[in-house]
Amino acid sequence: MAKWGMVIDLEKCTGCQACTIACGMENSRLPGEHWQDVIFFQEGEYPNAEIKWFPRPCMHCENPSCVAVCPVRATYKAEDGQVLIDWERCIGCKYCMIACPYGVRFYTEEKATYGGPNMKDVFKSEDAHSWSPPWKMPQEDWKHGVGVQPHDVVSKCTFCFHRVSKAPKGTVDFDPQNPATREYTPACVVTCSPGARFFGDLSNPNSEVNRQIAYKNGVRLLDHLGNKPQVYYLTGEGGSVPATRSLKKI
Amino acid sequence: MATFAKSTEISSRVRSAANAWLVSCIIVGGISGAYMLYQLTSVGHAAFNTSSDGVNWGLPIATYVFFALTSSGLSMIASLAMVFGFKQFYPIVKRCIWLAIITLASGFAVLAFELGHPFRMLWAMPTGMQVASPMFWMGVFYTIDLVLLIIKFYLIMQDDWHSNLSKLIGVASFVAVILASGMLGLLFGSVAMRPMWFGSFTSIYYMLTAALCGAAAIVVTTYMAFDFDNRNMPDELRALAESDQLPKVFATLIGITLVMIVTRMWTGLWSNLDGLEGFHVLIRSPLFWIEFLLGLVLPFWMMLQPGMQVRMQPQMIAAFLVLGGMFINRYEFIVSGQVVPMFKGTWVNSLEPYFPSTTEWAMAIFGLAVALGGYAIGEKLFHLSATPNHTTQNKLAGAAA
Ligand code: SF4
Ligand code: SF4
Repeated sequence: MAKWGMVIDLEKCTGCQACTIACGMENSRLPGEHWQDVIFFQEGEYPNAEIKWFPRPCMHCENPSCVAVCPVRATYKAEDGQVLIDWERCIGCKYCMIACPYGVRFYTEEKATYGGPNMKDVFKSEDAHSWSPPWKMPQEDWKHGVGVQPHDVVSKCTFCFHRVSKAPKGTVDFDPQNPATREYTPACVVTCSPGARFFGDLSNPNSEVNRQIAYKNGVRLLDHLGNKPQVYYLTGEGGSVPATRSLKKI
Repeated sequence: MATFAKSTEISSRVRSAANAWLVSCIIVGGISGAYMLYQLTSVGHAAFNTSSDGVNWGLPIATYVFFALTSSGLSMIASLAMVFGFKQFYPIVKRCIWLAIITLASGFAVLAFELGHPFRMLWAMPTGMQVASPMFWMGVFYTIDLVLLIIKFYLIMQDDWHSNLSKLIGVASFVAVILASGMLGLLFGSVAMRPMWFGSFTSIYYMLTAALCGAAAIVVTTYMAFDFDNRNMPDELRALAESDQLPKVFATLIGITLVMIVTRMWTGLWSNLDGLEGFHVLIRSPLFWIEFLLGLVLPFWMMLQPGMQVRMQPQMIAAFLVLGGMFINRYEFIVSGQVVPMFKGTWVNSLEPYFPSTTEWAMAIFGLAVALGGYAIGEKLFHLSATPNHTTQNKLAGAAA
């Protein structure tokens, strides 16, 4: 059994949002419904103000509050540590959205998030899917929250379950440079041009993710809440993660 | 003979008042329900103004909470006579229980339209058995509560007020209602990531304010049943209405609620904890002040005046104000707890604005119409003023009508 985790090196991250786009394409996301996003915020006041940013996927928490609150067990922690949603069980009560400290969950039925036409109306679905994107990835697995979701459920990042779960048993590091693991690596990790993202097995002390966390002092977002994210940030000299949520947005 | 004539006359007046209510409720409920259904079928839940970026639970959830807690409060008031032996409250017991059934059903109806897949819940909850989820237990306890209420009402319809079974059901129902309202509080109180709700306080707060809403609802509906005229009431009930018993219970509950609101506000405004910024939004909101001053302070003052306690009009006004105030309270409690956005995309505001859409308003109005309409039906069919002592007289009145 693995314990998949991600490391994001904020010293390397340029805030380019390529991961957001790659995730959107890989997982057929609606504009605005970004399972992965880069959040920009302001630290300090003039003349010491600084713009900072950090990418935010689902943290696939060790103690996922979203799993504990779900009254029907639609949200669950899978064997290898991913937190997934069974779209055939979800009743759309949104309690998980209330209980997730990181705001990574999205309800399907909503007004278009920002300007422009509502894509759900432009590309209407004729079946149980909530919309029919003109181009979409072939994978579909509602039991694991993969694909275009049905109406009235909650969706979120799956750590690219459809890719990672196909990796050969015993894989520890998912290196996008390595042809043997590239196709199993989460889309955001593959696309990141400065190589700021790492994915691998947190339960293996020799994994690359663990090495990065140890050498560069990995921290977790809002750690005081006790959810214990399986996503770590390396802040080094340049990066930082915010301590609070009422941020000054840019 | 005189008593017989009087009760016949009362029954017919009660029925005509109930008829008027029923007709208005059918019209209002029909229009709002039709609009809501049209929106939900054509637009779906996107017709709500809630969003993943900020306020996930809006007015429909507040309406559900309002009804569920009012129902719990009504059961608590009924328990004053049925469990704790305060016999003077018998004249309102049957009405309390019927109203508790109806308000809970209205709450469930609104919730069902709010949920994405309400029917899925029926099989997914028992097969999932997620015992860590407060929402799971809320569902369990409110279902038990509803079943016990129906049994209790059935027993009273059979004129069984005092049998062992009836007593047992009474006690069980009281326990269920404490658990249900407390659990509804814990649904909010369990989530540490929403510090405006976090803590066991929310549970206590929900139980006590439930009792307050129950007391207010029974005052309003009792007068409503008798066409806002004490002279129409049976003697026992009139004695209760003209005594200061219920107003005293009522004033105590408002007082407790005021203390809870002020202390909660204090810690909320005082602390710098991340996520408590909603308290600053709350205190600047005119709605909060309407709730606080008009919905609680004024009725509290009124119910402390010896001259006003025993008169119908001040009792009525105070109860109406409290119900309105507590509706705002449920809404403000739920919405302000969510205004601090979690980590969403770059375009999000620092604090999230929310105002209910017309569909959401229609749902709230629909719920209210179902509750009042269901109440009027009860008034027409079930002789809600029955008491253990008046059995024979009630039967006579029923037969004559
Ligand atoms: S980040 Fe939120 S949705 Fe993801 S596992 Fe943690 S609590 Fe659940
Ligand atoms: S919205 Fe779905 S996944 Fe979330 S708590 Fe409710 S049932 Fe579970």
